[in-house]
Amino acid sequence: MSITFLSILLLLFTFYLIGERIVRFIRKEQNQSVFKLVATIFIWGGISYIALFPIHNSNTLIFFGFIVVFFILFRLLSILEKNERLLTEIIRKEALKDLK
Amino acid sequence: MDSRLRGNDTYVIMVSMKLTNNQILILLPVFNESKVIFSVIRSIQKEGWKKILAVDDGSTDNTYDELKKTGVIILRHSINRGKGSAVKTGLEAAKILNSKVVVTLDSDGQHNPKDIKKMVEEIKKGYDVVLGIRDFKKRHIPRFKAFGNYIGNIFTWMFYGLWVNDSQSGFRAYNKKAVDLIQTNNDHYEFETEIVREIVRNKLKWSEKIIDVRYSDYDQKKRNKQSFVSAVKMIIKLVLFG
Repeated sequence: MSITFLSILLLLFTFYLIGERIVRFIRKEQNQSVFKLVATIFIWGGISYIALFPIHNSNTLIFFGFIVVFFILFRLLSILEKNERLLTEIIRKEALKDLK
Repeated sequence: MDSRLRGNDTYVIMVSMKLTNNQILILLPVFNESKVIFSVIRSIQKEGWKKILAVDDGSTDNTYDELKKTGVIILRHSINRGKGSAVKTGLEAAKILNSKVVVTLDSDGQHNPKDIKKMVEEIKKGYDVVLGIRDFKKRHIPRFKAFGNYIGNIFTWMFYGLWVNDSQSGFRAYNKKAVDLIQTNNDHYEFETEIVREIVRNKLKWSEKIIDVRYSDYDQKKRNKQSFVSAVKMIIKLVLFG
């Protein structure tokens, strides 16, 4: 284990993200699912592990690549889903105007 | 009448609720049903139901013009958002219209309007939500629908811990309490499953009632949106976004 300034910074950042997700899940904020919680812990937990115990081979890089792609994909899907729901809300409000 | 309510293990005295016809809202989510919607609504009106709300979910055919001929209340989504969103719009409208009971049924004519009465009777007994269930033993119900529904039931049970016999049925009834409490997010067919989650979350009293379904040639020719593939997509969406 080799602790550098960068690994400490990365650890703090991952702890912040995991902690924030746990708090949001406990508060039962909307759109918080068990999957999101587990995915966050798995991805950022994995990153903090690699920060603490770096492995210098190509497999690690590929592993990281998969994590990053998966994370980006998940974020994009989340944003898309959020926008879809917002659009539906606008359409609904417009439709209900006829009734008021 | 002393009766055991499903969903919680207590015995309660059920007091029959008095309702006028105007307090019962029949809700139809409609999308591209111009060929059948007029006759579907007429058949509901023939059964004596006066307050009918059709939510046109951005139809691109003559559905809206056909709806106007029937004299029902019409709300219109400017673009198609999915069956779940149309039902949700209808439930929001029910709050504004101060309806005491809302009965939802499909607009393609597969549900029998004669069954509305028994759904309402069940609500009068004191249930918050009544789920219409198809009798899958009947021969005219396609096997793939029965299979898809069974898979849906298993996943619904795994997610929310409640076994229902028809997690995908669109024929349902809600009382005012349920309409006020239910909160859904999904716009498409996941909505039906979300209702089960809401029953559990809000500890609503629920029951099931066997309903009649008629799968016509028209119905079979339509693109089947509740196929196995869409069931898988629905499960993924529910897991990812809740």
